[in-house]
Amino acid sequence: MTADQVKKALVSAVPGLQAELRPRPVGVRTRVEVPELWVDVSREGLVPVVAALKAAGPLHISIISGRDKGEEIELLYHFAVGYGTPGGEVMVTLRVGVPASDPTVPSICGILPGAETTEREKIEFLGIHFTGIPSTAHVFLPDGFTGHPWRKDDPETARHVKRMVEWEGKDA
Amino acid sequence: MPETQNVYEIPIGPIHPALKEPVRFTFQVEGERIRAVDVRAGFAHRGIEFMGMRRNLIQTLYLSERICGICSISHPIAITLAVERAAGIEVPPRAQYLRVIFSELERIHSHLLWAGVAAHELGFDTLLHLTWKVREQVLDILEELSGNRIDYAIPIYGGVRRDISPEQIPKVEAMIRYYRGLLEELVDAFLRDPSVAARTRDVGVLTPEEADLLCAVGPTARASGLSKDVRQDRPYLVYGELGVKAITPRDWGLEPRGDVYDKAVVRLLEVGQSLDLIETCLYEMPEGEITSFPKIPALLAHLKKAEGEGLGWHEAPRGEVIHYIRLEAGVEEPVAWKVKAPTYSNLMSWVPMFADQEIADIPIIAASIDPCICCMDRVHMVRDGSPATLLKEDLLRLSREKTERLTGHPSPVTRHGGGL
Repeated sequence: MTADQVKKALVSAVPGLQAELRPRPVGVRTRVEVPELWVDVSREGLVPVVAALKAAGPLHISIISGRDKGEEIELLYHFAVGYGTPGGEVMVTLRVGVPASDPTVPSICGILPGAETTEREKIEFLGIHFTGIPSTAHVFLPDGFTGHPWRKDDPETARHVKRMVEWEGKDA
Repeated sequence: MPETQNVYEIPIGPIHPALKEPVRFTFQVEGERIRAVDVRAGFAHRGIEFMGMRRNLIQTLYLSERICGICSISHPIAITLAVERAAGIEVPPRAQYLRVIFSELERIHSHLLWAGVAAHELGFDTLLHLTWKVREQVLDILEELSGNRIDYAIPIYGGVRRDISPEQIPKVEAMIRYYRGLLEELVDAFLRDPSVAARTRDVGVLTPEEADLLCAVGPTARASGLSKDVRQDRPYLVYGELGVKAITPRDWGLEPRGDVYDKAVVRLLEVGQSLDLIETCLYEMPEGEITSFPKIPALLAHLKKAEGEGLGWHEAPRGEVIHYIRLEAGVEEPVAWKVKAPTYSNLMSWVPMFADQEIADIPIIAASIDPCICCMDRVHMVRDGSPATLLKEDLLRLSREKTERLTGHPSPVTRHGGGL
């Protein structure tokens, strides 16, 4: 699998999609470059892009990471395309921005069932709504915990931290 | 699952003798057969990423080391690679080899730990005691090289914190010889034993299709025949040059079935692979610096000015670990930090593995993906037949005395300070 093949797959799904190649130099005696692609995708384009990546080669989702940028919540889908190809995996990161007021994203579990745990984690930690996800049950946080710890100024998390600080006598 | 009156619900965990870590399984059973399972994690959730985003990067590195007692090289390697990528830091060649040596030592001790747990879950405690007895050799070498049995504090942004001295190399070589001589015996005890085969063959099967769709990683995926290994597929450090090949049961001359037996095959063969890698690194490792930032204040100042994002990955003993980090100039703490441990990816593999299995096989199937277990060593001692509970201070003193005995020089840590 090469970065160009992945780029072709991306453009076939969403014409005009711009992928930034960030080659990663690796090695001491013989230097090689491991390709990393970083792509901005709209939430409407997410499912077609993931489907195209899945068709391009064995697809593995490492994790979805994310952060609260204030007005917007940024989700980063980290994939290995061509998973299991010796020296031939391409790391693809899809950057999806959603408004904090309407954090709805289509679930990709229909294409890649292995994404369920990480999507459910984003429901807990960032308050994302995934449409079509098989289960929305908590994975890591207690069932009754209604806050989203990675959201800025989340009142429930602040209350929880305050309680811990008072209890343990030290900061989080 | 058909709703019949013969289906009963059995909860196992979060605290249960069959489990070595807190996780809750809710099984739907019909007679002795498991019809469905629901897995609930989170009982050991400590909010480490949340805490890391409120600490400077050096403190976050130490925190990352404490995510798991067994993977205390894997997480620091992933976070240092991510930060070095984000901040544009080069790692000296010798440090790259040293990181590989330490991670392979960790793989040996982790796989032997697993083999012991697996033997115990099968009710084969003689094998547990044998495996854990021989595991002490690699822990002694880790203690000799780093000063600690776990939490080695070796990787730091820009390199490693300790070198391997010429005097230590013969000790590592002796360890390699010891395990080479022993491996055949261990393989014999596990893989040619009819009772182990009877308990593990066709138990807890994960098909290659399921492993692929559920994004399984590490030995769990390789036992199903998927030739996936981050060291092979997505080179980092010097792994690309070392020619690592993913080990599947085919290397043992068997067609992969994805059962518990195959998972034992993969892990035991990987011990031999790690010995070869350590040996190659010891001979190929060039002389030179071990870090590009010998002074911590200079490192912190560089990191504070850095702006960018990066990914760091590593093949931990249990599979792919990956860290994402985002740095902003003028801010000491990472503005985003995401950690993915291998068990996270393998969590969903339990569902097909438990389907249609017997209740008696729950412990070994649960253990077969090698869920992360914290080290419980050195808590309670029995000496001369009389049990004694030791306080933290006593443990620390004994631990330092042992390190001094191994290394032959006094511990650099003050005996009185630290409020310990």
